[in-house]
Amino acid sequence: MKGPLLLLSALAFATGIVVGAKLSRTWLALTLMGTITALSAALCVLLGAVDWEWRSVFLIGGEPLHFRLDGVSALFLVLLSVIGGAGAFYSRGYWSDHNHLASAPRGRVWWSALLLSMGLVLLSSNGMHFLFAWELFTISAYFLVTLDRKRPKVCAAGWLYLVASHAGTVCLFAFFALLATRTGSWDLGPMREYSGLASLFWLVLVGFGVKAGVFPLHIWVPATYATAPSHVAALVSGVEMGVYGIVRFSGWLPVPESAGWVVIGLGTLGALLGIAFALAQNDFKRLLAYCSVENVGVIMIGLGFALLARSYNDAAWGRLALAGALLHIWNHGAFKALLFFGAGAVSHATGTQEMSRLGGLWHKMPWTAGIFALGSVAVSGLPPLNGFVSEWMIYLGLFDVSLSKSPSAWAAILAAIILATAGALSLASFVKAGTLIFLGAPRTKSAVYARECGIWMRGPMLVLAVVCLGLGLAPIWFWPAIARAVGTWNPAWTTSVPPAPLRTLGLVHFGLAVLLVAAGILLWRKVRANGLRRSLTWDCGYVAPTAKMQYTSGSFGGLAAGWFTWIMKPVLKLRRPRGHFPVESIRLERTPETVLERVFTPLGGIVMQLSMAARRLQHGRLQFYILYVVAGLVALGVLVLMGGKP
Amino acid sequence: MTTVLDIFLRLACWLLLAPLLPGIINKVKAWVAGRRGPPVLQLYYDLTRLWKKSVVMSALASPAFIMLPAVAWVAVIGAALLVPLGPAGASLSFRGDALLMLYLLALVRFCTAWAAMETGSAFEGMGAVREVSYAVLAEAAMIAALLSMSVHTGTISLVTMLAPSADAGSVLLAAGLFIVLLAENCRVPFDDPNTHLEVTMIHEVMVLDHSGPPLAVILHGASVKLLLFVILLVQAVLPIGAHSPQTAAALLLAGVLAVTIAVGLVESLMARLALRRVPLLLTTAFLLCLFALLSAWRAVVS
Repeated sequence: MKGPLLLLSALAFATGIVVGAKLSRTWLALTLMGTITALSAALCVLLGAVDWEWRSVFLIGGEPLHFRLDGVSALFLVLLSVIGGAGAFYSRGYWSDHNHLASAPRGRVWWSALLLSMGLVLLSSNGMHFLFAWELFTISAYFLVTLDRKRPKVCAAGWLYLVASHAGTVCLFAFFALLATRTGSWDLGPMREYSGLASLFWLVLVGFGVKAGVFPLHIWVPATYATAPSHVAALVSGVEMGVYGIVRFSGWLPVPESAGWVVIGLGTLGALLGIAFALAQNDFKRLLAYCSVENVGVIMIGLGFALLARSYNDAAWGRLALAGALLHIWNHGAFKALLFFGAGAVSHATGTQEMSRLGGLWHKMPWTAGIFALGSVAVSGLPPLNGFVSEWMIYLGLFDVSLSKSPSAWAAILAAIILATAGALSLASFVKAGTLIFLGAPRTKSAVYARECGIWMRGPMLVLAVVCLGLGLAPIWFWPAIARAVGTWNPAWTTSVPPAPLRTLGLVHFGLAVLLVAAGILLWRKVRANGLRRSLTWDCGYVAPTAKMQYTSGSFGGLAAGWFTWIMKPVLKLRRPRGHFPVESIRLERTPETVLERVFTPLGGIVMQLSMAARRLQHGRLQFYILYVVAGLVALGVLVLMGGKP
Repeated sequence: MTTVLDIFLRLACWLLLAPLLPGIINKVKAWVAGRRGPPVLQLYYDLTRLWKKSVVMSALASPAFIMLPAVAWVAVIGAALLVPLGPAGASLSFRGDALLMLYLLALVRFCTAWAAMETGSAFEGMGAVREVSYAVLAEAAMIAALLSMSVHTGTISLVTMLAPSADAGSVLLAAGLFIVLLAENCRVPFDDPNTHLEVTMIHEVMVLDHSGPPLAVILHGASVKLLLFVILLVQAVLPIGAHSPQTAAALLLAGVLAVTIAVGLVESLMARLALRRVPLLLTTAFLLCLFALLSAWRAVVS
């Protein structure tokens, strides 16, 4: 049953690539069919007990085809289908043929290609085909990111994405090649008994870490997500393929002793600094991008403790941490896609991504405002929504570790404190984003003339909002799927009983949600009954407040972001008022991409200089080339004569 | 049936007793200053009066401006119901409820800050920023405190967690939690509930534009939050569980009264801090809780 479904799905996407440019309705139907069939296949695997595996004698690149859908890949396939389908609908309103005559057809073709290649990455169980699919995925994502290639900013961001991705892919080439030489075949699968493969984990961590946006390797994330069309950003950041790679191969391969510690270290660093950078941003899509860095950090914390638990043979807290991390992958996908859709609706309606140029949009865009607010609650990890459920499970794991009297207790204590701090900072960031965009008075004309997005964009947002609500209010329904993925990652941890009182939490969440809504409505009715009068905002009796007097993005983030200037190094442009009758003063503050500008750009400069130096060897004079050849031959001869093996 | 009755009794206890605390604090302040001061029941009178009043709302604000205070109120009551009341225990207790309590309080913060930004006033912006920013440090201190209690007792459920240790850790925890209590409830030296200077306020400035029933809900919610922190502090420090139910209840009441009076005394004897020093004091609270955690951990391991 699963095989035909997946085949049908692949055929639908492949047909979508062919017909997408011309026939937009057929393309939508095909994409919908492809995502629904893929979703059903993934659910069959997650809720059933058997994996799907398919081998063929048919060779591609000299290797037989080998596909496999197990708990871990099905977990990601579900996310891919939901966001992929929702994004296809969304793009019809957001990137319509009407507004983007040239790029919209191209976007449809590449969207199908992206879904197909991401699906192939998830299914491939052969190293070489995995690399093919991975490369196809990178390239189709590149063409989607640079759909609007007339803007130089978009091209620069796309270029950065391509370079960073390929730097990661180099590591993956090395990884798969070494894996193939050491095991003797390109076939992938559980191989935890080969202890010689442990050191390959570092290549996995760097190669997939670049794609996942693990903290110091996240350099391409902010610029790419900020300039990419929102549905693309939603898919690429919602379905973290880099995280898939790390989860997949840390489950299949043995890992070195220190892997857990390193992953925890990277996770805590990313969670704290990612969200601190998010708070300092002025562009709301950049803020969302940095928030992805934070959430990947949270997932890494959970995964790191799972790795640690596996090396200590201590199942209880490892299972909790892993289950929390895997559930957080779903949760993050749902609310991040929701927020990117909301952000796209705002930028679509106003033409700007600067929070300080917006304001008061709730009036014109009540649906988007409400859905964005819901997403903000979810991403801040607050009850009764889904973000809290997974963070709570990770916390429970951390608390259990800190009770365990092992050296890892120290790491758990530190991680729990950082997680709490990051949670409070993410609350600050999303209060900032939501309120600056939607509340108060419009700060510029573009905010005044905004219009609510159409049904094509609103529908997918509502679907994702329902997913967020469902995951928050009834987490126990989703537990079997998570348990299946946990069991796939480490068969010793297979269990059907949730390690945390998920059912109780779900009931509490449900009751709480009902009461919250009821209380809000009752108070509103009470106020209406008592009498409600509209008046000017109280500003200490000042009668002519203007929109410019409101708090801005810089003033909102300034206080807490000020504690992180040691790493952010904000660039300040200041012109103080001068003279007795000052006419102008300026204060501009910008948070640069510190890691990129201070670390990777200088590093790149050094590489360029070395390459330039090496280039002097190639000058076009034949005599010297002959000299090189002779020198090379002599050196080889000496090597052979010395008795060394050539 | 008994559970429902139990929950209602508890609810009544929280809802009816909470507004006493600000009254007692004000009485203590008046007493220290040599004034007669407002009656202890003043907040009850204010609440009933506000409940009947009509509302003036900023022209910029959305209906959420009215609804969010109610949402925050439910969240704070929910958090309160998770906190055990001495011998009576909690109405609902499960593994990890301590974290739910912490995050329900964060939900309160989210709602208050969001509602404050509704009006587009710069003052309320200031308040919202301070609230959400200082909370970063307060949250770190709270999680360290929860961890120390959890390490000390070996559980993650509030009912069993709140058993005090008999060493220096308990003193450190008390000091740390007391500072967090002052910060989270916007008391001196972090914030002055009586100030009339909007520029320096934190919590009060966020509710400048509220009036009528929503303001009543906010004031009542704030008093419940204060009671919650006071009860948490008392149970984390006083060995209540070791006594008979009657003594335990009396001890709890005496403890609550003592902490409330201490808050009043701090308020009378101290000036508020300059805003730039607030993070410093909160970091101190965090360090106190962290040292309490270390001491608890050492006691468990050795």
